[in-house]
Amino acid sequence: MLNPFDEYAIEAALQLKEKLNDGSTVTIVSMTPASGKEIVRKALAMGADDAVMLSDDAVAGSDLWGTAVALAATIKAQSPDLVITGTQSTDAISGDLPGMLAEKLGFPGLTYARTLEVADGRVRVQRETETGYMTISAALPAVVSVTKSANEPRYPSLKGIMGAKKKEIKQLAAADIGLTVAVGTGGAKAQLTDLATPPARSKGQVVQAPDPAEGAKAIVQFLKERKFL
Amino acid sequence: MQNVIAFIEHKHGTIRRSSLEAATQARTLADQLGGKAHAVVAGPGAAQAAETLKKYPLDQIHVSDEDRFIDGAVDAVESVAKAAGPSLVLVGNTMIGRDVGSRFAARADCGINADVVDFKTDGGEVSCVMPKLGGLVITTCKLTGSDYGVAAIRPNVFTAKETSGAAEIVQIASSGKASTVTVEDEIEEAAAELGVEEASVVVSGGRGMGGPEPFTTILKDLAEAFGGAVGASRAAVDAGWVSHGHQVGQTGKTISPQLYIAVGISGAIQHKVGMRTSETIIAINKDANAPIAEFADLLVAGDAFAIVPELTKLVRDAKAAHA
Ligand SMILES: Cc1cc2nc3c(=O)[nH]c(=O)nc-3n(C[C@H](O)[C@H](O)[C@H](O)COP(=O)(O)OP(=O)(O)OC[C@H]3O[C@@H](n4cnc5c(N)ncnc54)[C@H](O)[C@@H]3O)c2cc1C
Repeated sequence: MLNPFDEYAIEAALQLKEKLNDGSTVTIVSMTPASGKEIVRKALAMGADDAVMLSDDAVAGSDLWGTAVALAATIKAQSPDLVITGTQSTDAISGDLPGMLAEKLGFPGLTYARTLEVADGRVRVQRETETGYMTISAALPAVVSVTKSANEPRYPSLKGIMGAKKKEIKQLAAADIGLTVAVGTGGAKAQLTDLATPPARSKGQVVQAPDPAEGAKAIVQFLKERKFL
Repeated sequence: MQNVIAFIEHKHGTIRRSSLEAATQARTLADQLGGKAHAVVAGPGAAQAAETLKKYPLDQIHVSDEDRFIDGAVDAVESVAKAAGPSLVLVGNTMIGRDVGSRFAARADCGINADVVDFKTDGGEVSCVMPKLGGLVITTCKLTGSDYGVAAIRPNVFTAKETSGAAEIVQIASSGKASTVTVEDEIEEAAAELGVEEASVVVSGGRGMGGPEPFTTILKDLAEAFGGAVGASRAAVDAGWVSHGHQVGQTGKTISPQLYIAVGISGAIQHKVGMRTSETIIAINKDANAPIAEFADLLVAGDAFAIVPELTKLVRDAKAAHA
Protein backbone atom coordinates (compact mmCIF):
# COMPACT_ATOMS: atom_id res chain seq x y z
CA MET A 1 0.00 0.00 0.00
CA LEU A 2 1.18 3.47 -0.82
CA ASN A 3 1.46 5.25 2.50
CA PRO A 4 -1.55 7.61 2.49
CA PHE A 5 0.60 10.48 3.75
CA ASP A 6 2.96 10.04 0.80
CA GLU A 7 0.05 10.46 -1.59
CA TYR A 8 -0.33 14.03 -0.37
CA ALA A 9 3.34 14.62 -1.11
CA ILE A 10 3.03 13.20 -4.62
CA GLU A 11 -0.11 15.22 -5.31
CA ALA A 12 1.62 18.40 -4.07
CA ALA A 13 4.56 17.73 -6.39
CA LEU A 14 2.29 17.08 -9.38
CA GLN A 15 0.24 20.21 -8.75
CA LEU A 16 3.39 22.27 -8.49
CA LYS A 17 4.77 20.84 -11.71
CA GLU A 18 1.49 21.58 -13.51
CA LYS A 19 1.39 25.11 -12.16
CA LEU A 20 5.01 25.93 -12.97
CA ASN A 21 4.73 24.31 -16.39
CA ASP A 22 8.40 25.11 -17.02
CA GLY A 23 9.75 21.67 -17.78
CA SER A 24 10.13 20.73 -14.13
CA THR A 25 9.86 17.02 -13.51
CA VAL A 26 8.71 14.90 -10.57
CA THR A 27 10.92 12.02 -9.47
CA ILE A 28 9.72 9.48 -6.92
CA VAL A 29 12.37 8.37 -4.45
CA SER A 30 11.59 5.31 -2.41
CA MET A 31 13.53 3.12 -0.04
CA THR A 32 11.76 -0.19 -0.25
CA PRO A 33 12.47 -3.86 -0.89
CA ALA A 34 12.24 -4.89 -4.57
CA SER A 35 8.70 -6.11 -3.83
CA GLY A 36 7.72 -2.46 -3.36
CA LYS A 37 7.90 -1.84 -7.09
CA GLU A 38 4.12 -1.87 -7.50
CA ILE A 39 3.83 0.93 -4.96
CA VAL A 40 6.29 3.03 -6.93
CA ARG A 41 4.40 2.15 -10.11
CA LYS A 42 1.23 3.60 -8.59
CA ALA A 43 3.03 6.87 -7.89
CA LEU A 44 4.13 6.94 -11.54
CA ALA A 45 0.56 6.23 -12.60
CA MET A 46 -0.54 9.33 -10.67
CA GLY A 47 1.70 11.30 -13.02
CA ALA A 48 5.29 11.35 -11.75
CA ASP A 49 7.94 11.29 -14.47
CA ASP A 50 10.37 8.70 -13.20
CA ALA A 51 11.42 6.92 -10.05
CA VAL A 52 14.46 5.85 -8.09
CA MET A 53 14.24 2.84 -5.82
CA LEU A 54 16.82 2.06 -3.17
CA SER A 55 16.50 -1.65 -2.47
CA ASP A 56 19.24 -3.41 -0.56
CA ASP A 57 19.49 -5.77 2.39
CA ALA A 58 22.09 -3.38 3.76
CA VAL A 59 19.42 -0.72 4.34
CA ALA A 60 16.61 -3.07 5.39
CA GLY A 61 15.54 -2.65 9.00
CA SER A 62 17.01 0.86 9.24
CA ASP A 63 15.88 3.02 12.11
CA LEU A 64 14.89 6.64 11.51
CA TRP A 65 18.48 7.81 11.52
CA GLY A 66 19.57 5.12 9.05
CA THR A 67 16.58 5.82 6.84
CA ALA A 68 17.41 9.53 6.81
CA VAL A 69 21.06 8.85 5.95
CA ALA A 70 20.26 6.44 3.12
CA LEU A 71 17.39 8.48 1.68
CA ALA A 72 19.38 11.72 1.83
CA ALA A 73 22.22 10.09 -0.10
CA THR A 74 19.76 8.82 -2.71
CA ILE A 75 18.02 12.18 -2.99
CA LYS A 76 21.26 14.12 -3.20
CA ALA A 77 22.29 12.15 -6.27
CA GLN A 78 19.15 13.45 -8.04
CA SER A 79 20.18 17.11 -7.43
CA PRO A 80 16.62 18.19 -6.67
CA ASP A 81 15.38 21.77 -6.40
CA LEU A 82 12.66 20.73 -4.00
CA VAL A 83 12.10 17.62 -1.88
CA ILE A 84 8.50 16.97 -0.83
CA THR A 85 7.56 14.38 1.78
CA GLY A 86 4.44 13.38 3.64
CA THR A 87 4.24 14.36 7.27
CA GLN A 88 4.01 11.02 8.95
CA SER A 89 3.80 7.38 8.11
CA THR A 90 0.66 5.77 9.47
CA ASP A 91 2.54 2.81 10.92
CA ALA A 92 5.36 4.38 12.87
CA ILE A 93 3.50 7.63 13.55
CA SER A 94 6.73 9.44 13.01
CA GLY A 95 6.93 13.00 11.76
CA ASP A 96 10.69 13.05 12.16
CA LEU A 97 12.01 12.12 8.75
CA PRO A 98 11.50 15.47 6.95
CA GLY A 99 13.59 17.42 9.47
CA MET A 100 16.29 14.77 9.44
CA LEU A 101 16.42 14.79 5.64
CA ALA A 102 16.74 18.57 5.67
CA GLU A 103 19.71 18.36 8.04
CA LYS A 104 21.40 15.57 6.12
CA LEU A 105 20.93 17.37 2.80
CA GLY A 106 21.92 20.70 4.27
CA PHE A 107 18.67 22.21 2.95
CA PRO A 108 16.22 24.43 4.84
CA GLY A 109 13.32 22.38 6.18
CA LEU A 110 9.72 23.58 6.07
CA THR A 111 7.47 21.12 7.85
CA TYR A 112 3.70 20.68 8.27
CA ALA A 113 2.87 22.66 5.13
CA ARG A 114 -0.77 22.98 4.12
CA THR A 115 -0.02 25.15 1.09
CA LEU A 116 2.99 25.28 -1.19
CA GLU A 117 4.16 27.80 -3.77
CA VAL A 118 7.41 28.31 -5.59
CA ALA A 119 8.52 31.58 -7.17
CA ASP A 120 11.82 33.37 -7.81
CA GLY A 121 13.93 30.58 -6.41
CA ARG A 122 12.05 30.49 -3.11
CA VAL A 123 9.48 28.18 -1.63
CA ARG A 124 6.73 29.61 0.56
CA VAL A 125 4.34 27.54 2.67
CA GLN A 126 1.69 27.91 5.31
CA ARG A 127 2.95 25.83 8.19
CA GLU A 128 0.16 24.48 10.38
CA THR A 129 0.38 25.31 14.06
CA GLU A 130 -1.82 24.08 16.87
CA THR A 131 -3.82 27.31 16.75
CA GLY A 132 -3.60 28.43 13.14
CA TYR A 133 -0.73 28.74 10.74
CA MET A 134 2.43 30.68 10.01
CA THR A 135 3.76 31.66 6.63
CA ILE A 136 7.39 30.67 6.23
CA SER A 137 9.71 30.73 3.24
CA ALA A 138 13.20 29.65 2.25
CA ALA A 139 15.55 29.60 -0.70
CA LEU A 140 15.64 26.50 -2.91
CA PRO A 141 16.75 23.77 -2.70
CA ALA A 142 14.58 22.92 0.30
CA VAL A 143 12.68 20.10 1.99
CA VAL A 144 8.94 20.55 2.51
CA SER A 145 6.62 18.13 4.32
CA VAL A 146 2.94 18.48 3.48
CA THR A 147 -0.01 17.58 5.70
CA LYS A 148 -3.23 15.92 4.67
CA SER A 149 -4.99 19.28 4.43
CA ALA A 150 -2.65 20.27 1.58
CA ASN A 151 -4.69 18.61 -1.15
CA GLU A 152 -6.92 15.78 -2.31
CA PRO A 153 -4.69 13.13 -3.94
CA ARG A 154 -5.83 12.14 -7.43
CA TYR A 155 -6.59 8.62 -8.52
CA PRO A 156 -4.43 7.28 -11.33
CA SER A 157 -6.32 7.43 -14.64
CA LEU A 158 -6.39 4.48 -17.00
CA LYS A 159 -4.06 6.41 -19.30
CA GLY A 160 -1.77 7.07 -16.34
CA ILE A 161 -1.69 3.41 -15.39
CA MET A 162 -0.83 2.38 -18.96
CA GLY A 163 1.79 5.11 -19.25
CA ALA A 164 3.41 4.16 -15.95
CA LYS A 165 4.41 0.81 -17.38
CA LYS A 166 6.80 2.55 -19.76
CA LYS A 167 8.32 4.93 -17.22
CA GLU A 168 11.78 4.30 -15.86
CA ILE A 169 12.29 2.96 -12.35
CA LYS A 170 15.98 3.20 -11.61
CA GLN A 171 17.11 0.51 -9.18
CA LEU A 172 19.89 1.45 -6.81
CA ALA A 173 21.83 -0.59 -4.27
CA ALA A 174 23.63 0.78 -1.21
CA ALA A 175 26.94 0.74 -3.11
CA ASP A 176 25.50 3.10 -5.75
CA ILE A 177 24.82 5.91 -3.28
CA GLY A 178 28.21 5.81 -1.60
CA LEU A 179 27.08 5.09 1.96
CA THR A 180 30.05 5.36 4.29
CA VAL A 181 28.28 4.41 7.51
CA ALA A 182 26.47 1.24 8.47
CA VAL A 183 22.71 1.58 8.43
CA GLY A 184 20.10 -1.20 8.38
CA THR A 185 19.26 -3.36 11.37
CA GLY A 186 22.90 -3.67 12.47
CA GLY A 187 23.61 0.06 12.35
CA ALA A 188 20.39 1.12 14.05
CA LYS A 189 20.84 3.67 16.81
CA ALA A 190 17.39 2.99 18.16
CA GLN A 191 17.29 -0.77 18.52
CA LEU A 192 14.13 -2.72 19.17
CA THR A 193 14.68 -4.86 22.24
CA ASP A 194 11.16 -5.83 23.21
CA LEU A 195 7.70 -6.12 21.72
CA ALA A 196 4.72 -6.76 23.97
CA THR A 197 0.95 -6.74 23.76
CA PRO A 198 -0.74 -4.56 26.37
CA PRO A 199 -3.56 -6.06 28.41
CA ALA A 200 -6.85 -5.59 26.58
CA ARG A 201 -9.32 -3.12 28.06
CA SER A 202 -12.21 -5.00 29.48
CA LYS A 203 -15.89 -4.20 29.22
CA GLY A 204 -17.03 -1.87 31.96
CA GLN A 205 -20.37 -0.93 33.44
CA VAL A 206 -23.39 -0.13 31.30
CA VAL A 207 -26.07 2.08 32.83
CA GLN A 208 -29.43 2.55 31.11
CA ALA A 209 -30.53 6.17 31.39
CA PRO A 210 -34.02 6.76 30.06
CA ASP A 211 -34.02 9.67 32.52
CA PRO A 212 -31.13 11.99 31.57
CA ALA A 213 -30.79 13.37 35.10
CA GLU A 214 -30.23 9.83 36.37
CA GLY A 215 -27.65 9.24 33.62
CA ALA A 216 -25.75 12.38 34.57
CA LYS A 217 -25.86 11.38 38.23
CA ALA A 218 -24.48 7.93 37.44
CA ILE A 219 -21.50 9.56 35.68
CA VAL A 220 -20.85 11.95 38.56
CA GLN A 221 -21.02 9.07 41.03
CA PHE A 222 -18.47 7.16 38.92
CA LEU A 223 -16.20 10.22 38.65
CA LYS A 224 -16.30 10.63 42.42
CA GLU A 225 -15.34 6.99 42.96
CA ARG A 226 -12.38 7.51 40.67
CA LYS A 227 -11.43 10.76 42.40
CA PHE A 228 -12.02 12.96 39.38
CA LEU A 229 -14.45 15.03 41.43
CA MET B 1 24.55 8.66 28.45
CA GLN B 2 24.74 10.55 31.72
CA ASN B 3 23.16 13.93 31.30
CA VAL B 4 19.66 14.83 30.30
CA ILE B 5 18.74 17.95 28.34
CA ALA B 6 15.12 19.05 28.20
CA PHE B 7 14.23 21.25 25.23
CA ILE B 8 11.68 23.79 26.39
CA GLU B 9 8.95 24.85 23.99
CA HIS B 10 7.28 28.14 24.82
CA LYS B 11 5.31 30.96 23.28
CA HIS B 12 6.60 34.39 24.26
CA GLY B 13 7.80 33.00 27.56
CA THR B 14 4.78 30.85 28.39
CA ILE B 15 5.98 27.26 28.59
CA ARG B 16 4.02 24.35 27.18
CA ARG B 17 2.98 21.83 29.74
CA SER B 18 4.74 18.96 27.95
CA SER B 19 8.02 20.87 28.33
CA LEU B 20 7.52 21.19 32.09
CA GLU B 21 6.96 17.45 32.09
CA ALA B 22 10.23 17.05 30.19
CA ALA B 23 12.04 19.30 32.68
CA THR B 24 10.78 17.25 35.62
CA GLN B 25 11.55 13.95 33.91
CA ALA B 26 15.04 15.22 33.06
CA ARG B 27 15.83 15.29 36.79
CA THR B 28 14.51 11.76 37.38
CA LEU B 29 16.52 10.34 34.49
CA ALA B 30 19.67 12.34 35.27
CA ASP B 31 19.60 10.93 38.82
CA GLN B 32 19.29 7.40 37.45
CA LEU B 33 22.12 7.99 35.00
CA GLY B 34 24.31 9.82 37.48
CA GLY B 35 24.49 13.04 35.47
CA LYS B 36 23.11 16.57 35.35
CA ALA B 37 19.68 17.85 34.33
CA HIS B 38 19.74 20.73 31.85
CA ALA B 39 17.03 22.75 30.14
CA VAL B 40 17.42 24.69 26.90
CA VAL B 41 15.11 27.54 26.02
CA ALA B 42 15.46 29.70 22.91
CA GLY B 43 13.71 32.51 21.08
CA PRO B 44 11.75 35.63 22.08
CA GLY B 45 10.63 35.34 25.70
CA ALA B 46 13.33 32.81 26.61
CA ALA B 47 14.48 34.80 29.64
CA GLN B 48 10.96 34.91 31.02
CA ALA B 49 10.54 31.16 30.46
CA ALA B 50 13.82 30.58 32.29
CA GLU B 51 12.35 32.31 35.36
CA THR B 52 9.49 29.79 35.40
CA LEU B 53 11.96 26.94 34.94
CA LYS B 54 13.80 27.96 38.09
CA LYS B 55 11.00 26.31 40.04
CA TYR B 56 11.87 22.96 38.48
CA PRO B 57 14.54 20.53 39.69
CA LEU B 58 17.21 21.38 37.10
CA ASP B 59 20.95 21.93 37.41
CA GLN B 60 21.34 24.43 34.59
CA ILE B 61 18.96 26.44 32.42
CA HIS B 62 20.52 27.54 29.15
CA VAL B 63 19.02 30.59 27.49
CA SER B 64 19.43 31.58 23.84
CA ASP B 65 17.95 34.89 22.69
CA GLU B 66 18.35 34.06 19.03
CA ASP B 67 15.16 34.39 17.04
CA ARG B 68 15.75 31.88 14.26
CA PHE B 69 12.71 29.62 14.61
CA ILE B 70 13.67 25.92 14.54
CA ASP B 71 17.28 26.62 13.47
CA GLY B 72 17.98 28.68 16.60
CA ALA B 73 16.51 26.02 18.88
CA VAL B 74 18.49 23.20 17.27
CA ASP B 75 21.72 25.20 17.45
CA ALA B 76 21.08 25.91 21.14
CA VAL B 77 20.41 22.26 21.96
CA GLU B 78 23.46 21.21 19.96
CA SER B 79 25.79 23.62 21.74
CA VAL B 80 24.55 22.56 25.18
CA ALA B 81 24.80 18.87 24.25
CA LYS B 82 28.36 19.29 22.99
CA ALA B 83 29.43 21.05 26.16
CA ALA B 84 27.61 18.59 28.45
CA GLY B 85 29.00 15.46 26.81
CA PRO B 86 27.03 12.21 26.48
CA SER B 87 23.40 13.07 26.97
CA LEU B 88 19.80 12.24 26.31
CA VAL B 89 17.74 15.06 24.76
CA LEU B 90 14.09 15.18 25.80
CA VAL B 91 11.54 17.00 23.68
CA GLY B 92 7.76 16.99 23.84
CA ASN B 93 6.05 14.87 21.19
CA THR B 94 4.62 18.03 19.60
CA MET B 95 5.13 19.64 16.19
CA ILE B 96 7.94 21.91 17.36
CA GLY B 97 9.40 19.32 19.73
CA ARG B 98 9.60 16.76 16.94
CA ASP B 99 11.18 19.26 14.55
CA VAL B 100 13.88 20.17 17.05
CA GLY B 101 14.50 16.62 18.26
CA SER B 102 14.74 15.08 14.81
CA ARG B 103 17.09 17.74 13.49
CA PHE B 104 19.35 17.37 16.49
CA ALA B 105 19.38 13.58 16.00
CA ALA B 106 20.42 14.02 12.36
CA ARG B 107 23.23 16.38 13.34
CA ALA B 108 24.47 14.22 16.21
CA ASP B 109 24.00 11.00 14.20
CA CYS B 110 22.08 9.49 17.07
CA GLY B 111 18.90 7.53 17.57
CA ILE B 112 15.50 9.06 18.12
CA ASN B 113 12.45 7.52 19.75
CA ALA B 114 9.11 9.23 19.39
CA ASP B 115 5.94 9.08 21.49
CA VAL B 116 7.74 7.75 24.54
CA VAL B 117 5.58 6.83 27.56
CA ASP B 118 8.20 5.27 29.83
CA PHE B 119 11.97 4.93 30.26
CA LYS B 120 14.23 2.15 31.41
CA THR B 121 17.81 2.88 32.37
CA ASP B 122 20.57 0.36 32.85
CA GLY B 123 23.97 1.74 33.73
CA GLY B 124 24.39 4.51 31.17
CA GLU B 125 21.96 2.97 28.72
CA VAL B 126 18.54 4.37 28.02
CA SER B 127 15.62 2.44 26.57
CA CYS B 128 12.32 4.01 25.63
CA VAL B 129 8.91 2.39 25.86
CA MET B 130 6.52 3.37 23.08
CA PRO B 131 3.04 2.20 22.16
CA LYS B 132 2.82 1.56 18.39
CA LEU B 133 -0.09 0.85 16.07
CA GLY B 134 -2.28 2.91 18.34
CA GLY B 135 -1.29 1.01 21.45
CA LEU B 136 -1.90 -2.46 20.01
CA VAL B 137 1.75 -3.28 20.69
CA ILE B 138 4.22 -1.84 23.16
CA THR B 139 7.79 -1.59 21.88
CA THR B 140 10.99 -0.99 23.80
CA CYS B 141 13.88 0.58 21.87
CA LYS B 142 17.38 1.06 23.20
CA LEU B 143 19.30 4.20 22.20
CA THR B 144 22.73 2.98 21.18
CA GLY B 145 25.74 3.55 18.93
CA SER B 146 26.17 7.22 19.89
CA ASP B 147 26.98 9.41 22.88
CA TYR B 148 23.60 11.02 22.37
CA GLY B 149 19.99 10.05 21.96
CA VAL B 150 16.64 11.80 21.56
CA ALA B 151 13.30 10.93 23.13
CA ALA B 152 10.05 12.73 22.27
CA ILE B 153 7.78 12.21 25.26
CA ARG B 154 4.03 11.84 24.90
CA PRO B 155 2.34 14.80 26.60
CA ASN B 156 0.38 14.09 29.76
CA VAL B 157 2.11 10.85 30.68
CA PHE B 158 4.95 12.17 32.83
CA THR B 159 4.22 14.49 35.72
CA ALA B 160 5.36 18.11 35.89
CA LYS B 161 6.31 18.98 39.43
CA GLU B 162 7.62 22.20 40.86
CA THR B 163 10.22 21.92 43.58
CA SER B 164 12.54 24.38 45.18
CA GLY B 165 14.99 24.23 42.30
CA ALA B 166 18.33 25.99 42.49
CA ALA B 167 19.22 25.96 38.83
CA GLU B 168 21.89 28.24 37.47
CA ILE B 169 20.92 30.32 34.42
CA VAL B 170 23.51 30.21 31.66
CA GLN B 171 23.39 32.49 28.62
CA ILE B 172 24.20 30.83 25.28
CA ALA B 173 26.44 33.04 23.14
CA SER B 174 24.88 34.20 19.89
CA SER B 175 26.02 32.26 16.83
CA GLY B 176 25.65 35.24 14.50
CA LYS B 177 24.14 32.91 11.90
CA ALA B 178 21.30 33.90 9.61
CA SER B 179 18.11 31.87 9.61
CA THR B 180 17.58 29.52 6.65
CA VAL B 181 13.83 29.87 7.07
CA THR B 182 12.07 33.24 7.12
CA VAL B 183 8.97 33.58 9.26
CA GLU B 184 6.73 36.06 7.41
CA ASP B 185 3.69 36.03 9.65
CA GLU B 186 1.83 33.99 12.21
CA ILE B 187 -1.95 33.79 12.18
CA GLU B 188 -4.14 32.60 15.02
CA GLU B 189 -7.26 31.02 13.57
CA ALA B 190 -8.63 29.65 16.77
CA ALA B 191 -8.29 31.17 20.19
CA ALA B 192 -5.23 29.56 21.70
CA GLU B 193 -6.95 26.61 23.29
CA LEU B 194 -5.63 23.55 25.01
CA GLY B 195 -4.88 20.82 22.44
CA VAL B 196 -6.37 17.36 22.82
CA GLU B 197 -2.89 15.86 23.23
CA GLU B 198 -2.17 17.92 26.29
CA ALA B 199 -5.52 18.10 28.02
CA SER B 200 -5.97 15.77 30.97
CA VAL B 201 -9.69 15.58 30.21
CA VAL B 202 -11.01 15.28 26.65
CA VAL B 203 -14.68 15.41 25.70
CA SER B 204 -15.13 14.14 22.14
CA GLY B 205 -18.14 14.28 19.89
CA GLY B 206 -19.05 12.02 16.98
CA ARG B 207 -21.64 11.66 14.28
CA GLY B 208 -24.27 11.40 16.99
CA MET B 209 -23.86 15.16 17.50
CA GLY B 210 -25.69 15.75 14.24
CA GLY B 211 -24.04 19.08 13.38
CA PRO B 212 -21.36 21.64 14.31
CA GLU B 213 -23.26 23.40 17.07
CA PRO B 214 -22.71 20.96 19.98
CA PHE B 215 -18.94 21.30 19.51
CA THR B 216 -19.10 24.95 20.51
CA THR B 217 -21.91 24.56 23.05
CA ILE B 218 -22.68 21.46 25.11
CA LEU B 219 -19.40 19.59 24.48
CA LYS B 220 -17.30 22.71 24.97
CA ASP B 221 -19.16 23.56 28.17
CA LEU B 222 -18.52 20.09 29.59
CA ALA B 223 -14.86 20.18 28.56
CA GLU B 224 -14.47 23.60 30.16
CA ALA B 225 -16.08 22.44 33.38
CA PHE B 226 -13.13 20.03 33.65
CA GLY B 227 -10.56 22.47 32.24
CA GLY B 228 -10.23 20.05 29.33
CA ALA B 229 -10.40 20.06 25.54
CA VAL B 230 -12.89 19.09 22.84
CA GLY B 231 -12.04 16.16 20.58
CA ALA B 232 -13.89 14.51 17.72
CA SER B 233 -14.28 11.36 15.68
CA ARG B 234 -13.40 11.38 12.02
CA ALA B 235 -17.07 11.26 11.08
CA ALA B 236 -17.53 14.66 12.77
CA VAL B 237 -14.37 16.08 11.21
CA ASP B 238 -15.21 14.81 7.72
CA ALA B 239 -18.67 16.34 8.03
CA GLY B 240 -16.93 19.67 8.59
CA TRP B 241 -18.37 20.17 12.07
CA VAL B 242 -15.00 20.64 13.73
CA SER B 243 -11.43 21.07 12.45
CA HIS B 244 -8.98 18.21 11.90
CA GLY B 245 -6.78 19.33 14.80
CA HIS B 246 -9.45 17.89 17.09
CA GLN B 247 -9.57 14.45 15.48
CA VAL B 248 -8.70 11.49 17.65
CA GLY B 249 -7.72 8.20 16.04
CA GLN B 250 -5.62 6.48 13.45
CA THR B 251 -5.52 9.46 11.10
CA GLY B 252 -5.79 12.01 13.90
CA LYS B 253 -4.16 12.34 17.30
CA THR B 254 -3.21 9.53 19.63
CA ILE B 255 -3.89 10.71 23.14
CA SER B 256 -3.69 9.48 26.74
CA PRO B 257 -5.77 11.80 28.88
CA GLN B 258 -6.75 10.84 32.40
CA LEU B 259 -10.39 10.99 31.41
CA TYR B 260 -11.91 10.54 27.95
CA ILE B 261 -15.62 11.13 27.47
CA ALA B 262 -16.92 9.91 24.10
CA VAL B 263 -20.27 11.42 23.19
CA GLY B 264 -22.20 9.98 20.25
CA ILE B 265 -19.17 8.00 19.10
CA SER B 266 -19.61 4.34 18.21
CA GLY B 267 -16.05 3.25 18.98
CA ALA B 268 -14.68 2.09 15.60
CA ILE B 269 -11.23 0.49 15.76
CA GLN B 270 -9.69 3.52 14.00
CA HIS B 271 -11.06 5.74 16.74
CA LYS B 272 -10.15 3.31 19.51
CA VAL B 273 -6.46 3.23 18.57
CA GLY B 274 -6.26 6.97 19.23
CA MET B 275 -7.71 6.89 22.74
CA ARG B 276 -7.42 3.38 24.13
CA THR B 277 -4.55 4.39 26.41
CA SER B 278 -6.75 6.92 28.20
CA GLU B 279 -6.80 6.19 31.90
CA THR B 280 -10.58 6.21 32.20
CA ILE B 281 -13.11 6.08 29.35
CA ILE B 282 -16.75 7.08 29.66
CA ALA B 283 -19.20 6.81 26.77
CA ILE B 284 -22.54 8.51 26.38
CA ASN B 285 -24.41 6.75 23.61
CA LYS B 286 -28.05 6.10 22.90
CA ASP B 287 -27.11 2.56 21.90
CA ALA B 288 -26.09 0.40 24.90
CA ASN B 289 -24.60 -2.10 22.46
CA ALA B 290 -22.35 0.31 20.53
CA PRO B 291 -18.86 -1.20 20.08
CA ILE B 292 -17.46 1.35 22.51
CA ALA B 293 -19.24 -0.53 25.33
CA GLU B 294 -16.58 -3.23 24.92
CA PHE B 295 -13.77 -0.98 26.12
CA ALA B 296 -15.36 1.93 27.99
CA ASP B 297 -15.18 1.83 31.77
CA LEU B 298 -18.69 3.21 31.88
CA LEU B 299 -21.33 3.55 29.19
CA VAL B 300 -24.42 5.56 29.94
CA ALA B 301 -27.14 4.67 27.47
CA GLY B 302 -29.31 7.66 26.70
CA ASP B 303 -29.71 10.86 24.73
CA ALA B 304 -26.53 12.91 24.81
CA PHE B 305 -28.37 16.17 24.19
CA ALA B 306 -30.23 15.76 27.46
CA ILE B 307 -27.47 14.10 29.53
CA VAL B 308 -24.49 16.32 28.69
CA PRO B 309 -25.92 19.69 29.86
CA GLU B 310 -27.15 18.03 33.05
CA LEU B 311 -23.73 16.48 33.62
CA THR B 312 -22.00 19.82 33.04
CA LYS B 313 -24.15 21.38 35.72
CA LEU B 314 -23.36 18.63 38.23
CA VAL B 315 -19.62 18.78 37.46
CA ARG B 316 -19.61 22.55 37.95
CA ASP B 317 -21.45 22.15 41.25
CA ALA B 318 -19.04 19.48 42.46
CA LYS B 319 -16.03 21.61 41.49
CA ALA B 320 -17.52 24.68 43.17
CA ALA B 321 -18.13 22.69 46.36
CA HIS B 322 -14.42 21.84 46.45
CA ALA B 323 -13.15 25.31 45.67
C1 LIG C 1 -8.18 4.45 7.02
C2 LIG C 1 -9.19 4.94 8.01
C3 LIG C 1 -8.79 5.83 8.99
C4 LIG C 1 -9.70 6.29 9.94
N1 LIG C 1 -9.27 7.15 10.91
C5 LIG C 1 -10.14 7.53 11.86
C6 LIG C 1 -9.71 8.38 12.94
O1 LIG C 1 -8.56 8.83 13.00
N2 LIG C 1 -10.61 8.70 13.88
C7 LIG C 1 -11.90 8.27 13.86
O2 LIG C 1 -12.66 8.60 14.77
N3 LIG C 1 -12.33 7.49 12.86
C8 LIG C 1 -11.48 7.12 11.85
N4 LIG C 1 -11.95 6.36 10.83
C9 LIG C 1 -13.41 6.18 10.68
C10 LIG C 1 -14.00 5.10 11.56
O3 LIG C 1 -13.95 3.87 10.87
C11 LIG C 1 -15.49 5.41 11.84
O4 LIG C 1 -16.17 5.55 10.64
C12 LIG C 1 -15.69 6.67 12.68
O5 LIG C 1 -14.86 6.65 13.82
C13 LIG C 1 -17.13 6.76 13.10
O6 LIG C 1 -17.35 7.97 13.78
P1 LIG C 1 -18.53 8.07 14.85
O7 LIG C 1 -18.31 7.07 15.93
O8 LIG C 1 -18.60 9.48 15.24
O9 LIG C 1 -19.82 7.74 13.99
P2 LIG C 1 -20.77 6.49 14.00
O10 LIG C 1 -20.04 5.23 13.87
O11 LIG C 1 -21.84 6.78 13.02
O12 LIG C 1 -21.40 6.50 15.46
C14 LIG C 1 -22.29 7.47 15.92
C15 LIG C 1 -22.75 7.04 17.30
O13 LIG C 1 -23.54 8.06 17.88
C16 LIG C 1 -24.59 7.47 18.60
N5 LIG C 1 -25.65 8.48 18.72
C17 LIG C 1 -26.41 9.00 17.75
N6 LIG C 1 -27.25 9.94 18.24
C18 LIG C 1 -27.01 10.01 19.57
C19 LIG C 1 -27.54 10.78 20.64
N7 LIG C 1 -28.52 11.69 20.43
N8 LIG C 1 -27.06 10.57 21.89
C20 LIG C 1 -26.10 9.66 22.11
N9 LIG C 1 -25.55 8.91 21.13
C21 LIG C 1 -26.00 9.08 19.88
C22 LIG C 1 -24.95 6.25 17.82
O14 LIG C 1 -25.58 5.27 18.62
C23 LIG C 1 -23.59 5.78 17.31
O15 LIG C 1 -22.99 4.84 18.19
C24 LIG C 1 -11.05 5.88 9.88
C25 LIG C 1 -11.45 5.00 8.89
C26 LIG C 1 -10.55 4.51 7.96
C27 LIG C 1 -11.02 3.55 6.92
